Amino acid sequence: MRFQDWLKTITFYELLVGMKATMKHLLRYRPITLQYPHEKRTLPDNYRGMLSLLRYDDGTEKCVGCDLCEAACPSRVIRVVSGEVPGEPTKRYAKEYYMDMTRCLFCGLCVDACPVDALGMTREFEWAVYDKRQLCLNKEQLLAIGDRSFPVREKRLETQHPNVAFFNVAFKQLPQKPG
Amino acid sequence: MTELGLRLAVSLAQIAAVMGVVMLTVMILTLAERKVLGWMQDRMGPMEVGPYGILQPIADGLKLFFKEDIIPAGANKFLFSLAPILAMVPALIGFAVIPFGPSHEVELFGIRFQPFIVSDINIGILYILAFTSIGAYGIILGGWSSNSKYSLLGGLRSAAQVISYELNVGLAIIGVLILAGSLSLVKITEAQAGGFWHWYVFAFPAPQIFAFVVYVISAVAETNRVPFDLPEAESELVAGFFTEYSGMRFAFFFIAEYANMVLVSCVAAALFLGGWNAPYPGTILARVGLDGIAWLENIAWFTVKVYVFLFLFFWLRATLPRLRYDQLMRFGWKVMLPIALGNIVVTSIAVYLFANG
Repeated sequence: MRFQDWLKTITFYELLVGMKATMKHLLRYRPITLQYPHEKRTLPDNYRGMLSLLRYDDGTEKCVGCDLCEAACPSRVIRVVSGEVPGEPTKRYAKEYYMDMTRCLFCGLCVDACPVDALGMTREFEWAVYDKRQLCLNKEQLLAIGDRSFPVREKRLETQHPNVAFFNVAFKQLPQKPG
Repeated sequence: MTELGLRLAVSLAQIAAVMGVVMLTVMILTLAERKVLGWMQDRMGPMEVGPYGILQPIADGLKLFFKEDIIPAGANKFLFSLAPILAMVPALIGFAVIPFGPSHEVELFGIRFQPFIVSDINIGILYILAFTSIGAYGIILGGWSSNSKYSLLGGLRSAAQVISYELNVGLAIIGVLILAGSLSLVKITEAQAGGFWHWYVFAFPAPQIFAFVVYVISAVAETNRVPFDLPEAESELVAGFFTEYSGMRFAFFFIAEYANMVLVSCVAAALFLGGWNAPYPGTILARVGLDGIAWLENIAWFTVKVYVFLFLFFWLRATLPRLRYDQLMRFGWKVMLPIALGNIVVTSIAVYLFANG
């Protein structure tokens, strides 16, 4: 046994084993590299990317300005300025909506917190910019992201089911249910 | 006067050709190293510049050329500027005595010269050893004059390492010198003609296989390559002796390192692996009657040997972790040195016994 060890030492046996391993990888060349800008990995279905604001299928904003996303956010990314819809005293909307994406950690808590599903996480992730200020987004920018990432929009809740009553809508603007 | 001028012109042309080939090799090496390392580590290496990244060396060269040249505050300006030159010139000057091809003479404009060697001086190998030693000064002075602790530590390590392992290089090749009876690389190469069993790694009275192993290990150590890259250990010393260098000065150190690799590979090929001799007697081209271009085959064999040796450098780099400093010194002085000395004794006895028979 001792002689065997000695033999291994003088013939650099362990080094040769290692060199054999590297040579094997050279001969069976199967790179795991993804040439990123040219080819991209398939994202998982529940990928949490850039945040966005969504619209109903009639083009109105979903957001009711309830501030729950602001409360849920652990990094204080979101700032909502809520306001009344003019002419409809019981209905509110987000007059201003800001997101500081430099702080966002993409946890998705705001999306979970939203009672009307007004927030969505897109699959965008290439948001590198030269100026950090470009990552402080306002409502229009967030809606634009939502528009380009979610082409299929949800119907208004009241119109989804025939048995759900309209709520929180001024009587004179009551829409007609289809069918 | 005209003869002198012609000789000068021919010599300058030869020098330019050799420098061109060496610089081209260095360019190829920088790419080949990154590619081979990448392939061995399941990566791709550079892929962006040109098809499969083959123009990467040019992009690197341009980038280094246009980089800002910084001399750190408190640095010794003269030595800081001198050190990269002192590192690069000895690395390149050694190629003057390397025979790249057959040593027959060619007559051109009434001047006889050997086309494949710049200068056949009769102490060629000694000349190379002497100049590679001067290269160590470039590293030490570069480390010292940078006024940086990392650089100084890198320079000190390099000094100790180069001196320790140069000794082993010198002792390892003595066996070959005893067998060949000459210090001229041309004569040593010619003595190995006639098949691979005449190469000094396998040659009859005293195969220099141990000397060859010692030489390979010491050559890796002398060129500061992995696993002996302590002078520039990234994880410990940032970049070692060229931490403070940038732009062209850094490029000089870089070229020096790779030119040194090529040089030790050439010396290894010439001393142990038969130089430009093919591993079979004569050349195929000469045998089929194409005597005039037989030198092509010889140069091809030399190139193959050198590149195989250079590939070994990359292979070792992809495989081995860095040695600890005390391990490096112990290995150099307690293992390599006795083997090299023992090889000299054995070779001397063998040559003495078989000299007449």
